[in-house]
Amino acid sequence: MVLLIDSTVTDRCDVAYRSMFAARKSVFVDLLKWDLPVLDGQYEVDQFDDDQARYLILTDSNFVHLASARLLPTLRPHILGALFPALCAQPVPTGRHVWEITRFCLGRQVRSAQRRLLRNQLVSALVDHALANGIRTYTGVAEMGWLQQILSFGWQCRPLGEPLPTPAGLLGSLEITITTATPAALAAGGIWSPVPASRVPARRAASA
Amino acid sequence: MSRLAIAEQFIASARDAASTGALYEALARSCRDMGMRYFALSHHIDFARERGPSVRLHNYPAHWEEWFDHKGLGRSDPIHRACHLSSVGFGWSKVPAMIKLTPQDRCVLERAFESGIGDGFTIPASVPGETLGSCSFAVNSGQAFPNEVQHVCQLVGAFAFEAARRLSGSRSFPTDQGPILTERQRDCVLWAARGKTDWEISVILGVSHETVIQHLKHARERYGVQKRALLAVRALFDGSISFSDILKH
Repeated sequence: MVLLIDSTVTDRCDVAYRSMFAARKSVFVDLLKWDLPVLDGQYEVDQFDDDQARYLILTDSNFVHLASARLLPTLRPHILGALFPALCAQPVPTGRHVWEITRFCLGRQVRSAQRRLLRNQLVSALVDHALANGIRTYTGVAEMGWLQQILSFGWQCRPLGEPLPTPAGLLGSLEITITTATPAALAAGGIWSPVPASRVPARRAASA
Repeated sequence: MSRLAIAEQFIASARDAASTGALYEALARSCRDMGMRYFALSHHIDFARERGPSVRLHNYPAHWEEWFDHKGLGRSDPIHRACHLSSVGFGWSKVPAMIKLTPQDRCVLERAFESGIGDGFTIPASVPGETLGSCSFAVNSGQAFPNEVQHVCQLVGAFAFEAARRLSGSRSFPTDQGPILTERQRDCVLWAARGKTDWEISVILGVSHETVIQHLKHARERYGVQKRALLAVRALFDGSISFSDILKH
């Protein structure tokens, strides 16, 4: 069973968050060997993981992380603007309606065939989140091999600049436009897999 | 036109392309704009033998395609084999350092050169669960490859492959049928792929020898194959196991 934890509407769920930071360490540091800081030997947390970051986390019925993505507001330092502006030929896109997708992460404990379904659910959750919150554009930095998969989801992408070789590999930047037609575009590619509404923990009132 | 503008123009044309013919024209134009003569976009299958949604668009000389298919090179082409080893584009001059070239490989490369196909650059296109493919660009034999366009080739190749997938209907397969194998069958297939015998697998998993034999027999039945060697291939193809699973443990 898969649950969706959206950090804008759900109470902080410690198991989900902790297991997410642990999964990020396993994927980005141990597997992909990115040069990132590790907290307590267990958690991958960087300077952008503050109270303005948002997280979409898919978990099992015990709230343990299966897949997640981090969204960063673009009206302040973020990865493309602060770390890789050279990947943009023009000024980096920023605005209230522009958010950056980062740390797209599938847990390593998930088996290959299930990975594809989880990946599709996470992509669908990103689209749903955008439509529900007035986000019109996602930006992102991606290694070129992964970029092909991103294009295959069927959403409307365009590069912001030429790819550049870096110590982390050949990286490119993308701008993804989200409209009400995006779910149908994802469905045409066999990607559209929204997590059923019943699997989303209920919104809790701020005063509760 | 700036290099990025070439890519942007291509991407817009590819998005609007309603037919493979339109995509072909867009690729031909971008190829020229980048200063190259040939392009080839293809899934890595044997086109003479296989049917089903797949794509091949190129402007190589016609006699080259005939010879290529006659030899069934779609599966053994050295450039295609090198694609398994790289997630990003590579120049053809790097291929001898990437894979071990057989005499037949050298024959293929020489013949390409004699046909007028000179130095080139190939962008592998990998989408999980689907056949590997690639997009290549090349200059005329004897010309120098314009290295400054490499990164733009990368973008054009990636967007071209995605447009081709869309047009060929590769994307309308139901991709979420669920796993074909049970967990235990999958474990046995994975250990077999790692080179273990049935008896060794039974020791590793802590079950009886007969149980492993049955798991692998059922796995073969589920995939409809007779041979143990094909199990790993089928499981790799549908994503039940990955190369990393097999090689890194």
